[in-house]
Amino acid sequence: MLEDGKIGVRQFTVLVTIFTIGSSILVAPAGLASEAKQDAWIAAILGVGVSMVFVWLYNTLGTRFPDMTLAEYSEHILGKWAGKIVSLLFVSYFFILAALLLREIGDFMTTQIMPETPIQSIHIIFIGVVLMGTRLGLEPLTRASEIFFPWIIGLLFFLVMALTTEIDFQRMEPILGEGIKPIMRGAFPFLGLPFLELVVFLMIFPYVNKTKEAAKALFVGTLIGGIVIIVITMLTIIVLGSDLAARQIYPSFVLSKKVNIANFLQRVENIMAGIWFLTIYFKLTICFYASALGLAQTLKLRDYRVVTFPLGMILVVLSLVASPNIVYFLTFVKEIWTPYSLTYGLLLPLILLGVAAIRKI
Amino acid sequence: MVVIVGILAAAIVMIMLEVPTLRKQKMKKELWVFSILMLVAVGLSIAMGLQIDIPNPVDGITMLYKPFSDFVFHFLK
Repeated sequence: MLEDGKIGVRQFTVLVTIFTIGSSILVAPAGLASEAKQDAWIAAILGVGVSMVFVWLYNTLGTRFPDMTLAEYSEHILGKWAGKIVSLLFVSYFFILAALLLREIGDFMTTQIMPETPIQSIHIIFIGVVLMGTRLGLEPLTRASEIFFPWIIGLLFFLVMALTTEIDFQRMEPILGEGIKPIMRGAFPFLGLPFLELVVFLMIFPYVNKTKEAAKALFVGTLIGGIVIIVITMLTIIVLGSDLAARQIYPSFVLSKKVNIANFLQRVENIMAGIWFLTIYFKLTICFYASALGLAQTLKLRDYRVVTFPLGMILVVLSLVASPNIVYFLTFVKEIWTPYSLTYGLLLPLILLGVAAIRKI
Repeated sequence: MVVIVGILAAAIVMIMLEVPTLRKQKMKKELWVFSILMLVAVGLSIAMGLQIDIPNPVDGITMLYKPFSDFVFHFLK
């Protein structure tokens, strides 16, 4: 095995939760609200519900091959060459996901917090930390996520509590005013970001020490993450109103600007930014780690750390090339990302599972 | 010019961190993979630094999946 670390079930749950919250906490409410309007929270619930099917699929695949990663068993199932091609495709998916996540950080920083700083420098600094995490390995990374998890949840709890004075339930009405189709239109991009991306955990699945409970952990982690996003989406609707929420690129960031307790505690939006940085860091590192590990396993290298430095450099270039501007990026996420993810998060796992069942392995 | 010097400096630091251990442990294949990937990475970075147009893979993905996306959104209209 390339990675000799073992992680516990609770650590795995934490990792899945952080992965689900990461990036989508800031981006998902806008996509949901732009189509589903005041019913965005119903769309979020629908999305989380459908995603349980995907999680079930990943669990079936993961528990069928408890001691192999996705890259290893695609070769085991499909034979040498077809398997290598499929695992390289998965590596490309994880890598592009990592590049887009990096770009998201750069876009957020340059539009909201540090508008004068060149985007390249933000990318390079962030990838430095990601490289450190990746080279340390899976075990230190999950332990770090365990340390940060109470902070993430605590800060979220504080934010929700601080916003209770601003809530106006009338903004939710009319419920289902425009029928079911806008809700489905809103939920569709939400499936791709974050739930189909959970396929990346098939690269980590064999390193959980108890496989049976790992399957449960994937369920629980996704559910906790999904509930957090549902709550945040609901808050954006009932605090900002659907119209304002749909107009923002980062509605939950604007949401946290609304906190005002006795004209004393104000402008705590960087708490939201902090939650987002912590979660997206782990998400990005997991994706980067999965692509490095996948590439190393496909090429049968003895150590995945060999490829991390060059891949990191390529990642910075790709993240800069990947989107010329933020509008292009948002359109891509909304229209193309889910169909693209469906290929990797649904179609290929189904094919793998089908061929495995036919060949009886 | 500064860009190229910076990229080369970064690359040299990475090579100095990685290559000695690889050579000590006689990992020939790993050394090859590292060298090829590093060459690609440095090439791409310099091209980026000199503002040469690099084809965007996301454009390709968009072209490939646009029909399906249109179909879904048309269906849900």
